[in-house]
Amino acid sequence: MSTRRRKASGGVAYPDARGTLRERTVQALADGTLRGNLETAAASWGESRDAMRRDHGLDAMRDRARDIRRRNIRELPALLSEMQAKVREAGGTVVRAQDGAEAARYVTGLARARGVTVVAKSKSMATEEIKLNESLTDAGIEVVETDLGEWILQLAGERPSHIIAPAVHLNRGQVATLFREEAGTDDVPDDREGLVAHARVRLREKFAQAGMGVSGVNLGVASTGTVCIVENEGNARLVTSQPRIHVAVMGMERVVADWDEAAHILQVLPMAAIGQDAANYVNLITGPRREGEADGPEEFHLVIVDGGRGALRGTEFEEALSCIRCGACLYSCPMWKSVGGQAYGSPYSGPIGAVITPLLEGPASPTSRDLPFMSSLCGACGEACPVGIPLQDLLVRARARASSPATRRSAIVFRAWSRLWRRPTTYRAWMAGWRLMLRARGKGGWVTRLPGPGAGWTQVRDMPSRWPPRP
Amino acid sequence: MTGALVDDLVASLARRKASAQVMPAAEAARAAARAMADAGVARAVLADDPLMGDLGLPDALRREGIEALLWPTPLNRREMLGLEGPEDSCGVTVPRMAVAERGTVVLEASPGHGRGIDVTNRHHVALLPAGRIVATLAEALARTFADGHPVPSAVSLVSGPSRSSDIEKISTLGAHGALSEHVVIIT
Repeated sequence: MSTRRRKASGGVAYPDARGTLRERTVQALADGTLRGNLETAAASWGESRDAMRRDHGLDAMRDRARDIRRRNIRELPALLSEMQAKVREAGGTVVRAQDGAEAARYVTGLARARGVTVVAKSKSMATEEIKLNESLTDAGIEVVETDLGEWILQLAGERPSHIIAPAVHLNRGQVATLFREEAGTDDVPDDREGLVAHARVRLREKFAQAGMGVSGVNLGVASTGTVCIVENEGNARLVTSQPRIHVAVMGMERVVADWDEAAHILQVLPMAAIGQDAANYVNLITGPRREGEADGPEEFHLVIVDGGRGALRGTEFEEALSCIRCGACLYSCPMWKSVGGQAYGSPYSGPIGAVITPLLEGPASPTSRDLPFMSSLCGACGEACPVGIPLQDLLVRARARASSPATRRSAIVFRAWSRLWRRPTTYRAWMAGWRLMLRARGKGGWVTRLPGPGAGWTQVRDMPSRWPPRP
Repeated sequence: MTGALVDDLVASLARRKASAQVMPAAEAARAAARAMADAGVARAVLADDPLMGDLGLPDALRREGIEALLWPTPLNRREMLGLEGPEDSCGVTVPRMAVAERGTVVLEASPGHGRGIDVTNRHHVALLPAGRIVATLAEALARTFADGHPVPSAVSLVSGPSRSSDIEKISTLGAHGALSEHVVIIT
């Protein structure tokens, strides 16, 4: 089995992402199959989501969802203490990790100490963020992604393209080829049902061997110390019920106060994520199995990851912590729809990824500082967000943070320019000069090269030498 | 009141690609056994709930030639997962509640009710007394996690058979959990 190999590190973005953001973007744009697959996926999501807005009043649920999440973030330290106490009361172990490396170290150390050789995982962006697979693999432990889409990517040696639908950029033929390679036989069916049935049996073999199951957490409920894991396939239930140990990895912001709040968020999540009023399985887990119970893990560990989140509270970016990771802003974003998630070089792609990746990495990180510029600022993300995060505003603020402060010279230039354009007479004189210049440089009605700061602009576009253009 | 909830639940289960039958208690076991036999089920894993005996399900299964194992079963992990022994197995659960508006059954883990019964087997049959149906998810969660009632180690909200859209965004049933779900609503 091919396994992604990366060196474990503290950052969020993938340290070995190929090329620069610009190179990855250009490469993705040139891939016609990828664009077709992304467009189909986004269109089918759009249709189902519109049905949710029409039939279930999804838009009306947003205000309450936003209020709940904003309050959760304000009260985060108290909620986390309560969560921690309740999980311990239920017999679970709670670990607070300052960064991803610390979290990965804990889980890997635990697996080693218990003699685990195979780890079965259900889909989790948090484990992708802390680079857990690399850490476990480096320790000689086999890691198997059991979500069908994630398993396909693991076989392909690729990264997730979408928070909810990771393998959305691959088609059926590509999947069949991967399955044949993994099974070492051509005896793998070509049809969708056959492929799903094949994966079911292959992965059950892994569930039979796994000594540890690792899941993410969609929501933690502080009042009872319960983790909620939302899924459609049933693999998360197998991960949390078959192996002897269950480790749940949770971003510290994913906690709500009580079941009244949880009920609302658990309804909003599948509507925004997949355009359905319910996910097929929601697993609500409180501690390990109790005395007398014949299945379920004997040990339950909750790893709560800070990873730069705590430092965002009280800043102009605090609202980004409200995110419930539904993926709606990805599907709605014209940038993401054109290039897919892999171009972002981070587990978190799309508008929310462009905001939080550089925030979690720190402003100096060369791998993610350009991400806030992956947006046309059209605002479709803010409109799609079911918890009302003003993503377009956060993108603008993130850009300001990423841009270097103005030099003395550029400050003087901009001040002079502003003074010129503020008065009608000087503005008109400026424009008259500009028109003359265009006419002088134009050939056949078009200007193909501008001097000075205009050169970058005409590299990819022509400008008419007269306005309106004359034939 | 219960009648409207039953109708709503049947409709939303159909939307979730689960089937449902509304039956008086005297006929429920026979109907459930019949449905399993029609699906080719060879072995059934039954939650240890007094309702099973009250309805007479073990006898009804025996009459259909289906092996009935009561939870906890003597099966090893490979047998539980269907990697050894009969492939066509069925988990039979007794939900604590069901949510009418979204076709969800609420399963609570307990010594008699394993948390994996419905997903390890190829088929899932739920025996649901009609009085346990509530209207909304908020109501079901409020009751399940009410103060003074011990918090269960695991609660599963199950809304239709297992499904994946990971290949070409087209929904395909039977990914990891049950390929089919059948709810017998007992009036």
